[in-house]
Amino acid sequence: MDTQIMDRQPMRLSELETGGRGRVVKVEADSLIRRRLMEMGITRGEALFVDKVAPLGDPMELVVRGYHLSLRREESACIRIEREL
Amino acid sequence: MVTVALAGNPNCGKTSLFNALTGARHHVGNWPGVTVERRSGTIMVETPGHGAIELEVVDLPGTYSLSAKTEDERIAASYLSEPDVDVIVNVLDASNLERNLFLTTQLLELKKPMVFALNMVDDAQRQGLVFDLETMSQLLGGPVVGTVGNRGEGIEELKGVIARIARTAKEDVAREQGPLRVTYGPDIEGEIEKLSVEIRRDEQLAARMLPRTLAIRLLDGAVDTLAQVEASHARKAIQAQLGLSARHLEEHLGADPETLLTEHRYGFAKGLVLEVLDESHSAPAVPANRLDRVLTHRFLGIPIFIAIMVAVYALTFIVGAIPQEWIGQGFEWLQGFVASHLPPGELTSLLADGLIPGVGSVVVFLPVIMILMGCISFLEDSGYMARAAFIMDRLMHLMGLHGKSFIPLIMGMGCNAPAIQATRTIESRSDRLITILVNPLISCSARLPVYILFAGAFFSPFHGALVVVGMHVLGFALAIVMGKLLRLSLFRREHTPFVMELPPYRLPIFRTTLMHMWEKGSVFLRKAGTVIFAGATLVWFLSHYPGLGDRQLAADYQRQTSEIKAKGLPEAEESAALQDLDFAHQGRIMNTSFAARLGAVVQSIFRPIFDPDHVREDAWKDGVALTAGFVAKEIVVGTLAIVHQAKEESDTGEVTPLQESIRKNSGLTPLTALAFMVFTLIYTPCLGTVAMIKKETMSWKWTGFSIGYGLMLGWLLAWLVVVGGRALGFN
Repeated sequence: MDTQIMDRQPMRLSELETGGRGRVVKVEADSLIRRRLMEMGITRGEALFVDKVAPLGDPMELVVRGYHLSLRREESACIRIEREL
Repeated sequence: MVTVALAGNPNCGKTSLFNALTGARHHVGNWPGVTVERRSGTIMVETPGHGAIELEVVDLPGTYSLSAKTEDERIAASYLSEPDVDVIVNVLDASNLERNLFLTTQLLELKKPMVFALNMVDDAQRQGLVFDLETMSQLLGGPVVGTVGNRGEGIEELKGVIARIARTAKEDVAREQGPLRVTYGPDIEGEIEKLSVEIRRDEQLAARMLPRTLAIRLLDGAVDTLAQVEASHARKAIQAQLGLSARHLEEHLGADPETLLTEHRYGFAKGLVLEVLDESHSAPAVPANRLDRVLTHRFLGIPIFIAIMVAVYALTFIVGAIPQEWIGQGFEWLQGFVASHLPPGELTSLLADGLIPGVGSVVVFLPVIMILMGCISFLEDSGYMARAAFIMDRLMHLMGLHGKSFIPLIMGMGCNAPAIQATRTIESRSDRLITILVNPLISCSARLPVYILFAGAFFSPFHGALVVVGMHVLGFALAIVMGKLLRLSLFRREHTPFVMELPPYRLPIFRTTLMHMWEKGSVFLRKAGTVIFAGATLVWFLSHYPGLGDRQLAADYQRQTSEIKAKGLPEAEESAALQDLDFAHQGRIMNTSFAARLGAVVQSIFRPIFDPDHVREDAWKDGVALTAGFVAKEIVVGTLAIVHQAKEESDTGEVTPLQESIRKNSGLTPLTALAFMVFTLIYTPCLGTVAMIKKETMSWKWTGFSIGYGLMLGWLLAWLVVVGGRALGFN
């Protein structure tokens, strides 16, 4: 029922596969987490790259602003991105 | 004297730069009221034409921001805004400049004289990153020095520059025009100005921090600044303007002030990096990190992690046991020496049975603490600690904890006290507290002798082994359940995001690791030593008085001793007889002691778990042994031997006299023996662990909580064993 609305939403970072690249569209988390993510350099328009996923499937490791950052699915699902090829 | 604060991100090499600046002459303590380490050191620097200048260098906790949302940030933010801080040295990781500069934009707003140390320039150079320090210095409005902290490169130059800036800072040269400022564009600047106007209404507030800086911090949601305003008489006006500004920015720029400020800051950082990066040395492609590919490999990652854990465990608790043995023997020798060379009496007992073992029980921790802390420091500095957390986080997340909680829990199997100290690596306070509180549930090696005693006395070798393994499994299971419960109850609202930097791999500096071991060891002696010592002396008193002060008892002992000696027995027989007499004498003292009376008082509490049928005459002895076991859990065995008057060592091998006596005379059944073991596992952390919990939580409340919930949980579980076992037809 909501699929149409969902489709128009940009994809979540958690859905990006290993090796995938994207650009941040927005961060949809509560104030404290959003704040932390932004301070670590995840701001609108910034490019990201998923480097790998931990052996147990979570968290993921990404490269942003030239350094490596690890995020749990909980947090990466808050980050809306636009896939880049 | 001039105070210099070192500020920078975690992993920027700040501490090694601090060590290089101050040499070995520094002091490690805590920031007031928290367990975050505070390092400071004093150095003298010659300045050309102005003589020597004395600098006090203070190393701040590494932070990504100054918004005061975490404990570390709060400390850094409040210290930096103190008037005592004359110069800020901003340490920047050259190979991760853009992110490091985010903090710089906040530091610049404090409007203090600043020096920038572009650290680990060698790493950056290897990646093909070459910087134009001249341009960077102009853009930042303060001198920039390239350094390699761990090799001491650039340190002399840095000292000179700090001294020069410090001198002008003391002369108060034009602070206002000082370093550069980040500009936020007309809309935001307009709101900053409006807020500044309101702030200036409160002169005291405006005197503490520049109104512009304060306005920016308010828009940025800095918790400490919001609290400062709460106390101001201009509170209403400022808060009203803050609300208006936020709405205005939201409407005009489509985002809240925090987002807008952060974006501008990063915009500044990105622009600066573009300006100062020397394009002529364009970077060769960074070689894929093969080491990392292996260490975090989908299939190999976990086996390698386990192997590293086994190595750390073996180094700490097997290799560490060797010096521990020496220390133990040394103190035993000293104890024997004192006992045999001083006339028997209260003072000798205080020395030989109270103070010497008391000091011994503190010192014996040192080897394992120093080795474990050395290993952890090595893992941390090499960058592997973050990977270990990355690998284990999924598992730990199930118990409501952070990946970094895994190592302290595993090390608890050796000894809970150093394991609790190892929680220092966990940044979030609630994660740390939970890891500390569940750690004593992990069965440490000191509880093993108790299990072996009871398992050997009541079970077949096969079932006994199962029971011993079962105790360890139970400990882990309880830690998981309690972790989850604590997270859901006491720490429910404190959700901390798992946003962790994975720093580049680096080879740790041996000297730094050694220095770290030394620091941890000496802090342990100072902070935990006193509590352990006091507790050990108290337990000595409880288990030796009033019997030890009883002249009649002492006179009897003397008389019997001379009687034996008068018999003129062969030497071996005589010493055996004397030993037996001494053992009996100890038993008499113990069985009339305050601990024994306490045992009798608490007997009714223990009845449901250790004596459900009300048939045991010796039930009060459990209480004596468990009281003494508070000093260290293995003491339970020795105390049981004294109160039951049966030796721990066996002449024949198979079953010791103590096991024989406990099985036949104590009235315990296999089921209540199991309950006793379960209770010993959980009942209260030992004194060393309690002292460590106090040291690491800095709170008697949490320390008391730890003891209290342990006692209750231990009782409950032992009761379940008895009731459940009986329901199933066991006895």
